[in-house]
Amino acid sequence: MGYETQGFKLDDSGRRIVVDPVTRIEGHMRCEVNVDENNVIRNAVSTGTMWRGLEVILKGRDPRDAWAFVERICGVCTGCHALTSVRAVEDALGIEIPKNAHLIRDIMAKVLQVHDHAVHFYHLHALDWVDVVSALKADPKATSDLQHLVSPSHPMSSPGYFRDIQNRLKKFVESGQLGPFMNGYWGNKAYVLPPEANLMAVTHYLEALDLQKEWVKIHTIFGGKNPHPNYLVGGVPCAINIDGDGAAGAPINMERLNFVKARIDEIIEFNKNVYIPDVLAIGTIYKAHGWLYGGGISGTEVLDYGTYEKVSYDHSTQQLPGGAIINGNWDEIHEVDPRDPEQVQEFVAHSWYQYADENRGLHPWDGVTEPNYVLGAKAKGTRTNIEQIDESAKYSWIKSPRWRGHAMEVGPLARYILSYSHALKGHKYCQRVKEQVDYSAMMINSGIPKALALPETQYTVKQLLPTTIGRTLARALESQYCGEMMLDDWHELVDNIRNGDRSTANVDKWDPRTWPKECKGVGTVAAPRGGLGHWIRIKDGRIENYQCVVPTTWNGSPRDTKGQIGAFEASLMNTPMANPEEPVEILRTLHSFDPCLACSTHVMSPDGQELSRVKVR
Amino acid sequence: METFYEVMRRQGITRRSFMKFCSLTATSLGLGPAFVPQIASAMENKPRTPVLWLHGLECTCCSESFIRSAHPLAKDVVLSMISLDYDDTLMAAAGHQAEAILEEIMTKYKGNYILAVEGNPPLNQDGMSCIIGGRPFIDQLRHVAKDAKAIISWGSCASWGCVQAAKPNPTRATPVHKVITDKPIIKVPGCPPIAEVMTGVITYMLTFDRIPELDRQGRPKMFYSQRIHDKCYRRPHFDAGQFVESWDDEGARKGYCLYKVGCKGPTSYNACSTVQWNEGTSFPIKAGHGCIGCSEDGFWDKGSFYDRLTDIHQFGIEANADRVGATAAGAVGAAVVAHAAASALKRAADSRKASETTDA
Amino acid sequence: MSTELSVAAADATGVDETAVDHGQSVKSVYVYEAPVRIWHWINMLAILVLCVTGYFIGSPLPTQPGEASANFLMGYIRFAHFAAGYIFAIGMIARIYWAVVGNHHARELFSVPIFTAAYWREVWSMVKWYSFLSARPNRYVGHNPLARFAMFFVFVLTSLFMIVTGFALYGEGLGMGSWADKLFGWVIPLFGQSQDVHTFHHLGMWFLVCFIIFHVYAAVREDIMGRQSIVSTMVSGYRTFKD
Repeated sequence: MGYETQGFKLDDSGRRIVVDPVTRIEGHMRCEVNVDENNVIRNAVSTGTMWRGLEVILKGRDPRDAWAFVERICGVCTGCHALTSVRAVEDALGIEIPKNAHLIRDIMAKVLQVHDHAVHFYHLHALDWVDVVSALKADPKATSDLQHLVSPSHPMSSPGYFRDIQNRLKKFVESGQLGPFMNGYWGNKAYVLPPEANLMAVTHYLEALDLQKEWVKIHTIFGGKNPHPNYLVGGVPCAINIDGDGAAGAPINMERLNFVKARIDEIIEFNKNVYIPDVLAIGTIYKAHGWLYGGGISGTEVLDYGTYEKVSYDHSTQQLPGGAIINGNWDEIHEVDPRDPEQVQEFVAHSWYQYADENRGLHPWDGVTEPNYVLGAKAKGTRTNIEQIDESAKYSWIKSPRWRGHAMEVGPLARYILSYSHALKGHKYCQRVKEQVDYSAMMINSGIPKALALPETQYTVKQLLPTTIGRTLARALESQYCGEMMLDDWHELVDNIRNGDRSTANVDKWDPRTWPKECKGVGTVAAPRGGLGHWIRIKDGRIENYQCVVPTTWNGSPRDTKGQIGAFEASLMNTPMANPEEPVEILRTLHSFDPCLACSTHVMSPDGQELSRVKVR
Repeated sequence: METFYEVMRRQGITRRSFMKFCSLTATSLGLGPAFVPQIASAMENKPRTPVLWLHGLECTCCSESFIRSAHPLAKDVVLSMISLDYDDTLMAAAGHQAEAILEEIMTKYKGNYILAVEGNPPLNQDGMSCIIGGRPFIDQLRHVAKDAKAIISWGSCASWGCVQAAKPNPTRATPVHKVITDKPIIKVPGCPPIAEVMTGVITYMLTFDRIPELDRQGRPKMFYSQRIHDKCYRRPHFDAGQFVESWDDEGARKGYCLYKVGCKGPTSYNACSTVQWNEGTSFPIKAGHGCIGCSEDGFWDKGSFYDRLTDIHQFGIEANADRVGATAAGAVGAAVVAHAAASALKRAADSRKASETTDA
Repeated sequence: MSTELSVAAADATGVDETAVDHGQSVKSVYVYEAPVRIWHWINMLAILVLCVTGYFIGSPLPTQPGEASANFLMGYIRFAHFAAGYIFAIGMIARIYWAVVGNHHARELFSVPIFTAAYWREVWSMVKWYSFLSARPNRYVGHNPLARFAMFFVFVLTSLFMIVTGFALYGEGLGMGSWADKLFGWVIPLFGQSQDVHTFHHLGMWFLVCFIIFHVYAAVREDIMGRQSIVSTMVSGYRTFKD
């Protein structure tokens, strides 16, 4: 009934628990686990439950329009698919963008990181750690003390402030209309924060909700709107005019740049005063209760393409350098080449697609996909009313990408493990990552325990990072780092303009008549949820083939031909549940990946007709 | 419990104007002044309207936009104005605890809850390309729509179909109004809609207790009755004939009209140039990129976003009207010339024949 | 007496009996009443203006230098288009009115006797004439049957299409609730959206251009090769038969 893979012993003999829908994620997902007699998870199955067929839709379109289509893959990580797309097209056509465009795009990408990470932590993830109802029992004075302790410089910390929030919450709860908090798992033993920490977190839930809308205004300045700002093949559409004729009417002038700067300053403040302290405090308390589960394959198999070049087009200057770590050896970082047909490959043995030879994986440039929605023999229910998935057969709309045959985890944690390892080897541009990680480890081991009178610990970075807490922490650290880098970018942008460079777009190859008859390209981006790649083939000025391999495809992938499980499934293994009726722990660990299902489920086929052919077994 | 009245008070509406509002409501409902106190008391004690927010095939950009609302703040909408009882993006519960909420609200507030739909149902594959709780999303949508008071179709997915419905629409993604035909549907298109437009529609419905006036396509007139072009701050440059001819040229740096680089402002109904985006910070045209027409039906299939004259697909050809027309006119011209030449030859031959006849 | 001699004599004397004899054989009929003729030429001017300005609305002229406040090029082009559009539409209404009250030739544009076999025989004979298969066409007082077919199915229907789509688009500028929106606003959702209406309105212009090429050519050719006057008829109103 079970087998061993990647160091996990899968056993599906215990009680089966189904969570569908998994909420507080982007898109639609289902999760099934088996728990043993001690309510410990011994088998995990994650199913992507939607697909939209965007790559079919892209065929035959103008490559310059592609960014807008793929941007609509996801409205949460909005813009990252657009950026990947324009990079892929520029790579195919051999377009180099001006420095200003590079900087503006980087600022936009980092704003997305900050926004996405904070909204994820406070509005999608926090309720896995924070018991809202318990916050009603908190003493506002003690909450204020706690706030001073974990974040001395945060201005909004008076007892009166917390009392107001608590009163509002009380009124809300007493109304009997709990809205989004209805049927939550309040009081579950899996919640271990004291009432004061809960009230502090709920307060920041609301603070972050008010502030996040400010940060994205940077996208609005450069891209006109958010969600879904505008991009441009060859550069950025926002022309710069600082002191010339008509600067008042220019998309980017001094006032606009100052506006951006003000938002960057707010971002840095929020990360420093609220986000980082909250994550460290919550992480420390959960660690004190022994909750270091959820690592999965993050300590052993991680991947990222690398990003944030200090010097445009010079990969050696990446401030979050990429690569692949396999078999848990952090000392050896393998180079990742998205063009190499032997490296990134997608498998469909357990996905609702079919290949001629399903034992083989296909590189995205050669990707062929035909949908094949079938349920396994052991599945329970009917084809349109699934009660239980059969994971020995096809069971997800997500494909299984593998790097040289390995299931990999991607995301902020993967990037932080990679950059930390690079930094240890002396990489010049990512030392800040090591600083952040070492500081956090110190705070979690001793700094915060001392202040909160909790026992001190001696965990190493290699023990702390590959956990659910570590995944959540890496996201916060990345947010902080991005805020800081953004400020550097802003100064560099202003310097560059001062030096007389106002160019924002390279239009030499705007006209399709200047393009080669056939070409192909790849674009990669460090998306909030991990390494994202788009592969494009262009023929006669039109898209011949388009393929995206997105972060949640890596993390949420079903089993492959060798039976290897994906990162989601691995991370749930061996986690004890306080009450299997209430999937708090499952949600906590799944959410720590920030799943994005609209991103991960995509399909491509030679023609649209094929797609309606579905077999039932 | 914060009632409707308290919310209005907190937002700076005086008791006096509240009573005035109640008497106006009474008049508009055709009730006499005797009913004013009754209405006032109902308003003062009315529970918050439950909103069930379902997600089909979508990208969550509508939810993301919604939480960006500055006036009213998204948190005030959720905590004090409506009761957002189901929304898979924000709700604490998951799995069967989440599904149980739907049943509870549907029973308790039968005919009195608002159904908000983000995304749309796919019909191919028996609807199984969007699965909720092991079943097709279309089932959930039909089920919840049954007892709803009204339906809000958020964004272009729910209103028109949007990107997954672009040709060839592999999942047969279908807008809400084509599958639910017996309920009032308010379309709030855009990809996504502007945050303040979304909360504006909700607060209008709560404040006036009625559906906003809709245009012939079901969009609230208050936000969708004018084209972006009609209120665009670059309009003087359009009228003057001053255009951005290519990216990052002098015109781009002076904020000239983006018409020639494909701006769809002249054909798009939305409030971008008036309300603007993200608390009035900017909007696409102001940031230098033309409008792509994201609030319009089928905007994905109208040719390149960078073409003024877009391609015609209806006859299976990929060319714009000018190319088709000029080709046709050229062909007609050539045919005419050829015919004229033939006619001239014939005439010459005829007259030669005629003169030969006369001579003979 | 040979012809050359008599011409020479006539030139000298002014006496030309042959011409007088011949002159009696020229028959003419009053076909197009004044309103029809006036409409035709005003309509021609309106269409000319509409096509030229319409083209430049779709593909504007190069950017104008100077301040926006000092220029109004697109504004003037659009004004001319709208003004000509009004003239075109009102002209069409007046013409339809005249079809009711005018002579029977005035109705030829608006009806085609497609259920009459005799009509189709004449169409066929015209087709043969244009295909150089018959040596001599018949004589027609009003429009020849083929012309009548083209007038109705190409010119009149396209014109109506252009008026309806044109005012639907014009109504977008006037705003919701305007007369144009109330009368023609339904057209926009019918096509999908405004951009589609623009595209087909533009295509309609090219359709008319093609029609005009045919129309002018056929009129001139008939004048030369046919048995009756064409171009001058639209000036004087009289159809003159050459034999």
